[in-house]
Amino acid sequence: METRPLGETGHDSTVMTFGAIALNWLTQEGANQMVEHVLDAGVNHFDVAPTYGDAELKLGPKLRQHRDEIFLGCKTQARDYEGAREKLERSLDRLGVDQIDLYQVHGLEYEHELDEITDDDGALAAFRDAKDEGLIEHIGLTSHGSPQLILDAIDRIDDLETLMFPMNPVVVGKDDDEHDYAAVLERAESEGVGTLGIKAFARGPWGERPEADRPFANWYEPVDRPDEIRERFDFAAAQGLTSVVNPGDPKLVTMVVDAARRYDGMDDAAQRALVEKLRHEESPVPEQLHH
Amino acid sequence: MVPTTVRAALADQPVADAVCLEAGAGVGNTTEGLLAAGAERVYAVTDDPAHARATRERVGDGARAAVVRADVRAVPLPDDSMDLITAHGLCNVLPPDALDAALAELSRVAAPGARLVVDDYDPLPAGARMREVVALANAASDLSSGESALTFYPARHLRRVCEGWGWTVERETTLLEPVPWTPAHVRAHRDSAREALADESNAAAAAVRDALDRLDPTRAAGDAGRMYSLAFRRPA
Repeated sequence: METRPLGETGHDSTVMTFGAIALNWLTQEGANQMVEHVLDAGVNHFDVAPTYGDAELKLGPKLRQHRDEIFLGCKTQARDYEGAREKLERSLDRLGVDQIDLYQVHGLEYEHELDEITDDDGALAAFRDAKDEGLIEHIGLTSHGSPQLILDAIDRIDDLETLMFPMNPVVVGKDDDEHDYAAVLERAESEGVGTLGIKAFARGPWGERPEADRPFANWYEPVDRPDEIRERFDFAAAQGLTSVVNPGDPKLVTMVVDAARRYDGMDDAAQRALVEKLRHEESPVPEQLHH
Repeated sequence: MVPTTVRAALADQPVADAVCLEAGAGVGNTTEGLLAAGAERVYAVTDDPAHARATRERVGDGARAAVVRADVRAVPLPDDSMDLITAHGLCNVLPPDALDAALAELSRVAAPGARLVVDDYDPLPAGARMREVVALANAASDLSSGESALTFYPARHLRRVCEGWGWTVERETTLLEPVPWTPAHVRAHRDSAREALADESNAAAAAVRDALDRLDPTRAAGDAGRMYSLAFRRPA
């Protein structure tokens, strides 16, 4: 599987990152098989969080067995020093490892949170101390928030090494500032920050469908056919992200693995075709006869 | 929102500070694209009242944009006045004689050294499901007006027609491949075909109407063909 430099971390991540939230919906035996499956495909970057149910616990055994083959990302929603430290220690404990390779501020949404994490008593101070102690190696941030907020984070966090944010043909097709994650990607690249793409496989919101009746364990409706998964993977990887994270439902993981193994670029005309297809499909009334 | 096709077609063109003519304004996609790319002024020409309204609502009608209700074969603008002319998805709605007349007119208003950007579709390949939709649209149009609704000219054909009017081709790029024909497109073409047949009562019209009724937009849609962009220049 193709690898790309994860910013200036010194690590080359595979073009697919295994989003270990998928393990939450599997038994321990199934989780073990899933980890072996993605490792067989060559995936070397894993991402987990304490908020993903039992995912940390279920990842633990195979993570410890294959510790040298896995670059491990984890994250915390704590914004203050004490909370971040506690969550980090808890994750290390639940995962059963001595070090997390990449520790990330999880789900930054508001500008005031950026003030909190960068404060002297903020989460980032705890991250830096943990880094000095060797508990973590690199510092990152994840966000579904506005591109401007993420750009502000790049400006305000000098030691930021990775970013995780949405990237798919729907957001690329929207040319307003609210969806300009391309600007985030561009800035991250110029600052040597590694980039991890999420929501690459989102079809759209679930709408009215109650959670208990949804066929996939994702908070958005994912694409679910092999050809769609492949074109979405190709699109996200072709934008220049370091790596693309699979959707959280375990039923979809092997299709993403297959797409990642076969990835060999996507030309501009095919990228635009995907953007325009989704734009026309999304439009409630036919806009016009042409593209 | 400016479609990626428009953005890609204009990316290498000197739009900033140019006086532009968008021939066949549609819903204003290219007009908005030209304005966003810094055009000094855009004349959005269309003979379709709904398109004129849509474009006016979208970009306004003021210092930088003017929506002109006119046939592209008779544009009420002076000779040699436009720096950049765009025809994004226009030519396929022009039968051959209208195409030639439109390019004659666009060439008349083009300033020396002007640019012309022509974006359109290659003919659909054999086996493309969308061909049935195009065939029905053309049959409906032929029965009601005696002309085709859609003609997908190969890029080399439009290249020659434009060269015949004094333009020199500067580049050809692929905007979309495959072209994503969606159920929304099928429905739009089906509805225009039905409208064209509204007053026709002969047996052929009835047969086409039946076929339109049987058309399943989801099944008839699909990715097929290529949309290209040709950029030309006029001698200075």
